Amino acid sequence: MGENGAGKSTLIKILAGVVTPDHVEIRLQDRPVNIHNPQDAFTLGLRFIHQELNVVSQLSVAENIFVSLPYPRRAGFLVDWPRLHADATQVLAQLGIHHIDPRQPIARLSPGDQMLVKIASAFVGADQSNASIYVMDEPTAALTGDETARLFHVISELKAKGCAVLYVTHRMEEVFQICDTVTVMRDGRVVETRPIQGTTPNDLIRLMTGRQLEQTYPARLAPIGQAVVLDVRDLSTRRIGGIRFQLRAGEILGVAGLTGAGCSELLRALIGAERCLTYDVLLDDHLLPPLSPARAWEAGFAYVPEERRAQGLMLSRTIRDNITLPHLQRLSRGGVFLNRAAERGASSAVSQSVQLRATGTEQITRQLSGGNQQKVLFARAMMQTPRVLLLDEPTRGVDVGAKFDIYSLIRNFSARGAAILLASSDLNELLGLCDRILVMRKRRQAALVEAAGLSAHDLLTLCYEAPA
Amino acid sequence: MTVQARLSRWLRRSGTLIGFLIVIVYFTLNIPNTFLTLPNWLNISQQVSMLAVTAFTMTIVMVMGDFDLSVGSMASLSGIVAALFFRDSQPVLVGVIVALAAGLVGGLLNGLLVSYIGITPFVATLGTLTIFSGAAFLLSGGKTIFGRDIPADFSGFARGGIPIGTFNERALLFPNLTIVALIVFVIVWVVLEQTAFGRRLYAIGGNVEAARLGGVRVRFLRLIAFMLTGLGAALAGLLYASRVASANPTQGAGLMLDAIAAVFLGMTMSEEGEPHVVGTLLGVTILGVLDNGLTQMRVDSYVREVLIGAIIIGAVTSSSLSRRGH
Repeated sequence: MGENGAGKSTLIKILAGVVTPDHVEIRLQDRPVNIHNPQDAFTLGLRFIHQELNVVSQLSVAENIFVSLPYPRRAGFLVDWPRLHADATQVLAQLGIHHIDPRQPIARLSPGDQMLVKIASAFVGADQSNASIYVMDEPTAALTGDETARLFHVISELKAKGCAVLYVTHRMEEVFQICDTVTVMRDGRVVETRPIQGTTPNDLIRLMTGRQLEQTYPARLAPIGQAVVLDVRDLSTRRIGGIRFQLRAGEILGVAGLTGAGCSELLRALIGAERCLTYDVLLDDHLLPPLSPARAWEAGFAYVPEERRAQGLMLSRTIRDNITLPHLQRLSRGGVFLNRAAERGASSAVSQSVQLRATGTEQITRQLSGGNQQKVLFARAMMQTPRVLLLDEPTRGVDVGAKFDIYSLIRNFSARGAAILLASSDLNELLGLCDRILVMRKRRQAALVEAAGLSAHDLLTLCYEAPA
Repeated sequence: MTVQARLSRWLRRSGTLIGFLIVIVYFTLNIPNTFLTLPNWLNISQQVSMLAVTAFTMTIVMVMGDFDLSVGSMASLSGIVAALFFRDSQPVLVGVIVALAAGLVGGLLNGLLVSYIGITPFVATLGTLTIFSGAAFLLSGGKTIFGRDIPADFSGFARGGIPIGTFNERALLFPNLTIVALIVFVIVWVVLEQTAFGRRLYAIGGNVEAARLGGVRVRFLRLIAFMLTGLGAALAGLLYASRVASANPTQGAGLMLDAIAAVFLGMTMSEEGEPHVVGTLLGVTILGVLDNGLTQMRVDSYVREVLIGAIIIGAVTSSSLSRRGH
């Protein structure tokens, strides 16, 4: 177990041979082994069930189950389809799954059923090969209660057969239901390994968060204003619902939640990137029409997305192009013809105020470090002095020095009267910067709490389904 | 930056240009009397004007990472549409305007399919390619419209030009077709390089999701861009019809591949491999010069096609190899 970013997935990727570690010593049955690629891991008897549904959606259920193995053959080169389907049915039956027809395309199945098929494929050939260790990364994230129960039954059978299971989960109750020992990770290190017996959920949360505040956070520069800037009276999309909060000028509202709890979706809904089912939002006491990103920027929203490379930047373009993109209308002559002098002036001014380290605004964005690329996005957000600033994981993949710069920037925005929503998986960051914190749980707003006096322990407890 | 890095960067951007200069020197040496003369170059400019208009406007969609396969059959269709109005004794201007409107409507259809329905440009414009071509055959009954049906005002345009002096005692004209192509070049250059619209198209080409989240109306802009490309294709069809004083349902065949090739040749000249209309101009010129020079050297036309294909692949290969080394 561990918080987001504690290093669980990296550990699994090393075991799977996907990530090459700087230094590693892995012993299997007291013999040192080397894992350089996924094939090595497979040969050593490691089987992986990843969190993401990486199915081949064009293929049938049976083909997905046998995708990494040779298909049964007829006459040497023809696929023996009846046997393939029979084998697949048998594999599924081992898991007590009888309602999935192996011939149908996997894309037609529900996400939960797809995950079951993916899980089943990890057990293929288990009898003849030497599969002995199963590594599961949040396998139940997409499963219903029944499906989870079925998976747990299979896990207990594996245990009975003498197989070992490494089980990564965010769900506290599952650890107590099926695990024998638990290892807690934090900041890329193992904190402790202990037997489940005699451990309480509270102990685990303490181990996951129990660090000192290593990072100092800049203090608030100006008090929170009185005026309500953003009043979200009701907001829901197909993925999230029950959102309701008010945000005052200069206030920083944190958004906390486990992976998949819907934090990013909340910000995406507000910038207009997701279609909203209900949308009752006031900005400065005016009811907003449902927004598209273009209209949201015009209305005074600014957004720093979670994935700066995939969602934020045009890496092949200059820093200036990236900064001015949402503001071109205003910076152009008559709103039509580019005014490069004005763009250069405005973008170099904001580049300086975010302390961007670059050769100039004409540098290609690809050439910057991660932290400086992030500052380009802040410069973009800063250019129009936004009313509402939406920040999704603003310090992810950013080194410590740049992190502090970014925290100072957030304080500056706040001092200028922007209402700020800050989604982060770093609980201490939330506690260090935010005035209040909105907790998302199972894609719904679960709590809205004052940050003052809150500990990381309390916050993580809120993120988990109320532990026993 | 080291001297070596500077040199390799310069070579990467200028490789195509250097190759082009070598080609010109080669033709100059082998066709000494006619190749490097003003009349020949004016002739080249007139010959490539249809391709140039198509390629310039094709650059607009290729900037977004899209392309339009239907430009050739749109060019055929627009020629036929204009000729039908001429046959009906309508004024030249009416025929021209309706043909250009057909280009806009065709582009609108492409844009709707690509950006609002979400079909990939390849499939969508492959479909409309066939539709436009079929429509051109249907409207014309599969026959070439020519002779007295085409008014002299219309066909005279392509033969006309602005007198710019004499050469070997013959009057020299700067061809109208070349003028049209240059005007289109300037318009496309202004649109792509000097307007917020153009910058947003480049943003879409750079990262479509980032552009959307950064406030670009991606769907609407894509629609407009496809309409401009359709308009350009229709204009090219009119130029062609004027030049040959006839309209034929297959007249635009071959235009699409050459236009895309010209844009690709131009892309090899930009640092980040993005389409640029200045590069496209060079690409069009390279294709026109090769065609002209090889014809004058009496190289068989099939050999010419093989050579031109090889040159395009060579230019793009060397540019992508040097970028990979980078």
